[in-house]
Amino acid sequence: MAQYSTVLDGVFAALADPTRRAVVRRLGQGPASVGDLAHDAPMTLPSFMKHVRVLESHGLIRTVKSGRVRTCELNREQFALVEDWLAEQRRVWADRTGRLEHFVTRQEETP
Amino acid sequence: MNPDLDLSLDRLIRAPRTRVWDAWTDPASLAQWWIPAPLHCRVEQLDVRAGGAFVTEMSEDGTAFSPHLDACFVVVDEYERLVFTNGLNSAWRPANPDPVAMTAEIVFHDHPEGTEYRVVVRHADPAARARHADLGFADGWGTVTAQLAQLAEQSV
Repeated sequence: MAQYSTVLDGVFAALADPTRRAVVRRLGQGPASVGDLAHDAPMTLPSFMKHVRVLESHGLIRTVKSGRVRTCELNREQFALVEDWLAEQRRVWADRTGRLEHFVTRQEETP
Repeated sequence: MNPDLDLSLDRLIRAPRTRVWDAWTDPASLAQWWIPAPLHCRVEQLDVRAGGAFVTEMSEDGTAFSPHLDACFVVVDEYERLVFTNGLNSAWRPANPDPVAMTAEIVFHDHPEGTEYRVVVRHADPAARARHADLGFADGWGTVTAQLAQLAEQSV
């Protein structure tokens, strides 16, 4: 659970920026080059690249370089993670109940 | 129950109700099953009464412990029901725990073959946590979620 939380915190933090959300919105329409994405952002290319790297390091986007063009696309599986927190909690409680059951029935067998 | 935020599970445990209850309320017993191995669990506080502290810690090596749960009991009906929340910590201070605040209700019923064991966990909305954590969602998490939903729909 700790690891899941860390990943989730990273995803939330990566999305907690208007420039990066704009990139996610744009990539929702399909892959785009860093050059095209940067064109829409009111900042220098090096500053914009930092945002791209944050999104990439938290697994929200993938980038592929072909020749001189770096293309970005959304990694939709990572977005699914944000929706899956309840499934994770269900697993935690089911496992916990299994351990409790094992603990009390083991006592039963060897009093 | 809100299916988007809550979970429940029912289990028939083949042991007497008093034994299941004792496994919950005796610190040494709780430490045996509360956290999955190989992690070690230390039960710091287990004051099983309404308002009582419920604090557990975990460790990978058995020496350096880190916080696991800092909660308090809301309802204690002996041998029948336990309710605790981490939305209020053991010092009764309103908390915003990671990953999401919850209230857990554990119900113990007699069954011919043992104990009918029911867990209901009600969660806060993690979106609320994201807002409270002041992560800088200028237009709110609801908007971001809506955008994500749109993105997902576009991918179909």
